[in-house]
Amino acid sequence: MGALRRFTGFLALPLALLLFAQWPLRELIQAYSRQANDLAQILFALYMAVAVSAASAAGTHLAALHKGRSSAVSMPRWRRWALLLCVAPWALFLLWACAPMVFESVRHWEKFGETLTPGYFLVKLALVLLLLLVLAQALLQLVPRKEPRP
Amino acid sequence: MSLIGPAAGAWMLLALAVLVVSTGLPVWALLCAVASAFAALGVLGGQFDLNILAALPTRLVGLLEHDLLQALPLYVFIGVLLQRLSVADALFSSLCRLFRRSGAGPSLAALGVGALIAPMNGSVASSSALLARLVAPRLGGADAARATALISVSATIGVVVPPSLVLILLGDAMLNAHTEASNLPGFTLGTQRIINTQDLFHAALLPAAAVLALWALVAWWQGRSERHQAAPVAPRRSEMALALLAVGAILVLLAGVFTGKIYAVEGAASGGVLLIVSTLTSRALNRVQWSEVLGNTLALSGALFALLVGATSFSLVFRLFGTDRWFAALVLGSTLAPQLTAALVLLLVALCAWVLDAFEMVFVIIPVLAPPLIMHLGDAQQAAVLLLLVLQLSFLIPPMGYAVLMARSRSGLAQVSSARLVRALRPFILAQLALTLIVFAVPSAVHLLDAPAAAISAEAPLSDQEIARQLQEMAGEPGASAPPP
Repeated sequence: MGALRRFTGFLALPLALLLFAQWPLRELIQAYSRQANDLAQILFALYMAVAVSAASAAGTHLAALHKGRSSAVSMPRWRRWALLLCVAPWALFLLWACAPMVFESVRHWEKFGETLTPGYFLVKLALVLLLLLVLAQALLQLVPRKEPRP
Repeated sequence: MSLIGPAAGAWMLLALAVLVVSTGLPVWALLCAVASAFAALGVLGGQFDLNILAALPTRLVGLLEHDLLQALPLYVFIGVLLQRLSVADALFSSLCRLFRRSGAGPSLAALGVGALIAPMNGSVASSSALLARLVAPRLGGADAARATALISVSATIGVVVPPSLVLILLGDAMLNAHTEASNLPGFTLGTQRIINTQDLFHAALLPAAAVLALWALVAWWQGRSERHQAAPVAPRRSEMALALLAVGAILVLLAGVFTGKIYAVEGAASGGVLLIVSTLTSRALNRVQWSEVLGNTLALSGALFALLVGATSFSLVFRLFGTDRWFAALVLGSTLAPQLTAALVLLLVALCAWVLDAFEMVFVIIPVLAPPLIMHLGDAQQAAVLLLLVLQLSFLIPPMGYAVLMARSRSGLAQVSSARLVRALRPFILAQLALTLIVFAVPSAVHLLDAPAAAISAEAPLSDQEIARQLQEMAGEPGASAPPP
């Protein structure tokens, strides 16, 4: 998980570059700006799919301030089980509900509707990745781990 | 009120509020949990069919391919990077120098940095953290309540100054709300068209400038008598040059976005790329620090996106119960004068914003409350600006206001009682309240920068040449150029 998050973190740089490039591509080269946007959409979807569980691991999710935020390591045991109870039914239902849509998309190597750029199926696949990582993170948090030394 | 009738959404909100406060669990997870529990109740109680919930994956894919949301990690990235770079420090030192003769240099510089950085800085929390690091040590000699108040107000500037992330997201929410309002019985669009993000930028700019001017006056009045512990150190020439470059770049980007030459997302990306290039060329960060910046960006972006995912799940179930229509009917059936009803809706928004943050407001509350508000005011731009001003106002009211909470917990300044903080914030809040009342009473205040030509062209069908050009560009052929919307 750590390696996946480190790799995904670096995707912010090409994402910034691609979105920045749209303007000169549109105004100066007058082509390919939509393709750059399509590629940025794929990167964005994959980035966010990993980011949600990364936020859980880092303890950056918004929570009531007086209770304090807690990372995956420092969270009390009851809260880990409560968190699993909150997200598991939701994630499992969504996995069940999105399976036909994602399967069809992957089977046909679905392209972006307007530009016909290949790779739109990756956006839908990112939803499955997001849900699986959320589930995996909630389960991993149940495993007791030692606090890292300061 | 039945648990599974049209009022079920009210129970959902109540359950969410109780769980958020009592458990301290992540809000996004609680949004999902409450949505799941009430969805199960709705299906078991025959309120709606299980198949209709299959719309949720499509909505979540919609978030993953949302053009505007692509700006989210970029804003977060800029905020995280600014925490570690000397750009903000150079800006603060240079502004201190610029305003030194006023006697309130650090106070005015704090507001100035807030105004310049906040629109590109992602969130109130991010601005608050940056300003606390920059300003708190320089205001050590000032009254702690006034220093905390100053950090709080400066951190909220990004809520109203375009093209902040809150404004971009609110623009999208208002587009949907305006569309919904236009379908409500008795509402006619008249000469107005459905508003977009650019309209909101235009509408918000003058009120934002007025807020800034009024607050600068208050900061100057309060700060002129303060003795600052750390006397402002004269910035080095390199710092002045860096500050000038940063101000120039920010103003060019803001102008580009404001005039529609570049999209807001591209503006954020340009800011990000400029920062990346300047950081790489100056070698300001080593490999480990870069890794930390990117790791923090991922985690903070994930926290914001998770809120959107949770809010999307929550609002789908909320709407399946028909609570939005129930609430709209309740407001539309009001026997009070339309202006008074609108004021009451704004009061409800203010109460919600007092305990929630900007992103929760934009994705959970505003989609429900904005359509009837637009209906009663009859002007979507005025409604949007009022919502922004009310959000900003609520964030500043102790003890629960989001900006105040952030400034108190992160500034490292001496803790002050809420009563003292209220006294320090009072002139800022009164100035903000006065402006909100003006916008409420004089709707034309938000239309002074309207672009009627753009409004007409947005409604006009595409010309044959434009269709041919777009097809050419889609096919990747050179010679096609698209004007920004």
